[in-house]
Amino acid sequence: MTAMALDERFFEKFGVEYSPNEIIFCEWEPGNEFYFIQSGNVRIVKLIQNREKNLSVLTDGDVFGEMAILEEQPRSATAIATDHVKLLKFHRDNFDTLMSGNPALAYKLLVIFSKRIYDAKRRLMILLLEEPQLKVMDVLVMLAEQDPHLDLQNEIALQVTAKDVARWAGLSESDAQKELTHLSRTDKIELFGDKIVVKKIREFQRLVASRRKSMYQ
Amino acid sequence: MSNGAGSGPSGIITRTYKAGSIIYFENDKSEYIYILKAGKVVLTSLKLDTGEETKEEVRQGEFFGVKSALGKYPREETAQTMGNTVVLVLTPADFERLVLKNANVVKKMLRVFSNQLRRIVKMERSVLGEGEIVNPDAELFKIAEYYYKAGVVQHAQYAYKRYMEYYPDGSNAALAMKRIRAIDAGEPAPPDIGVPDAGPMDMPARPASGGDDFSIDEPGGDSDMIDFDATSHQDEPGQGSADSTLALSDEMDDFLAEKNTPSMDDFSIDAAVAGDTPRDLNDAADASFAKGNFSTALDLYRKIISLNRVNGNDDKRLLEKAHFDAGRCLMEMGKPKEALEIFSKVLRNFSDSPYMKMAIYHIGLIFESVNQKEKAITYYNKVLNMSPKDRLNSEALNKIKLLQGK
Repeated sequence: MTAMALDERFFEKFGVEYSPNEIIFCEWEPGNEFYFIQSGNVRIVKLIQNREKNLSVLTDGDVFGEMAILEEQPRSATAIATDHVKLLKFHRDNFDTLMSGNPALAYKLLVIFSKRIYDAKRRLMILLLEEPQLKVMDVLVMLAEQDPHLDLQNEIALQVTAKDVARWAGLSESDAQKELTHLSRTDKIELFGDKIVVKKIREFQRLVASRRKSMYQ
Repeated sequence: MSNGAGSGPSGIITRTYKAGSIIYFENDKSEYIYILKAGKVVLTSLKLDTGEETKEEVRQGEFFGVKSALGKYPREETAQTMGNTVVLVLTPADFERLVLKNANVVKKMLRVFSNQLRRIVKMERSVLGEGEIVNPDAELFKIAEYYYKAGVVQHAQYAYKRYMEYYPDGSNAALAMKRIRAIDAGEPAPPDIGVPDAGPMDMPARPASGGDDFSIDEPGGDSDMIDFDATSHQDEPGQGSADSTLALSDEMDDFLAEKNTPSMDDFSIDAAVAGDTPRDLNDAADASFAKGNFSTALDLYRKIISLNRVNGNDDKRLLEKAHFDAGRCLMEMGKPKEALEIFSKVLRNFSDSPYMKMAIYHIGLIFESVNQKEKAITYYNKVLNMSPKDRLNSEALNKIKLLQGK
């Protein structure tokens, strides 16, 4: 988003800077601001099962903390500056004014919200399935769909652990593990420490789709 | 789907459809965005939770197909024409150019999208049963403990301080304070530091704090931070609270002296680097505030106050802001009494300021934090009745509900 008309004055007003390794906000703290990265990199991490897990690394032009615009919920992850970072920081209360003056930023958020809406809906669709087996399958389908580089006609490898699957599926880890083991025994998938190989993801896709259809009838 | 295509002057294609034509099907992948120019289009989708079919009519001049095009996802609905119809077909680049010229269009869409997102996220939470069992207070403390244990003291210190900032009455406040001091003294994490290995799903159940408001208003544990006297539970003297000008000086008396409140300042002071116009000072102060250097920020806001410039609108606004933000700094630093004094100045001196309402809200927060619920409610009520109605009004309402629900 280099074309963004964010002049110097804008930075004067909303600019904040962080040093390497400084926390910008921390998971579970209340969040009222969202951020736009002017320069530098920001690591988004989350404690999962008492281990710090990298969710993503964001860079120039990216926006984060945007859920604060919508609701006063605690932060769902921690943002840490990985190098010298320059940010624009906007309070929720200024949102309307800000958007009027900066259609480019508004457009950027529009794109982000579009993605988030879909992702959230997609996750919800998994959670609304009834059988744990299907939930697990659908998690794998969702992850496969999210990676445009995968060839879904062939065997695919997903960088995901049983814990991740459990979290997406809204299952306990042992329940998710049970389902994964079952799929592995029936030779539908292969389990590794840090990845899961799915033999025929299309088959899962079809199965989940037909069950979802019949669920409503 | 190339029936009747024609290119308009801007490169945007106009397309005409006969009645009953499908513009796109659910699950199609396409980057096109449409504007209904003439005729009628109906969008059909299935409800996520019930599978029920819902139909929505597009009005002339409205966009459709935006979300899936921008998000690069399959269509979530089927678009069908209900009569001879003309649409404009835009690529995302056309769309961007178009909306950048019209901030109101983006704003309106953003509002619609954020409402949708809010609804879905809420639904997701309720399916996961989250809203009911998560306790952000304890979770934040766990994050701090995790980093301390892992030896990442900078992060631990940040999280402990945030904990003190938001939950000065929280059940882990005393411990958090102890940890902050220990880290300041360079002590490593004690071996007994325990972070129970539990995800949110395993948390002990606790009454929800309203879902979108996490200032837990339970009586504080053994906090050594705020040490107000038991008189804080007395009822308000029977008069004056209905008056819109707030006689805070009376209420100040209700606060007894804070006994040796330890300062939880960040001591890295380098306030001297800032320039000396109110604008410079303000920017430096905001930056310090953002980093949690509240003492530095406070010094800078106080400088703005002592300059007392009221010439232009900008200076005047900055002066008001400096008062308000100095109050917030004091709150962050665990000095509610002083914070209250300065907020009351905002009320007395800047009655037409946009900071007035926020100052009143913060006074409510202060009373709430020392468990003076009645007074907190009085101030939240004032906020509730103030115009324009904005988010702060609804936050005040939430607060009142919570406090009265106890």
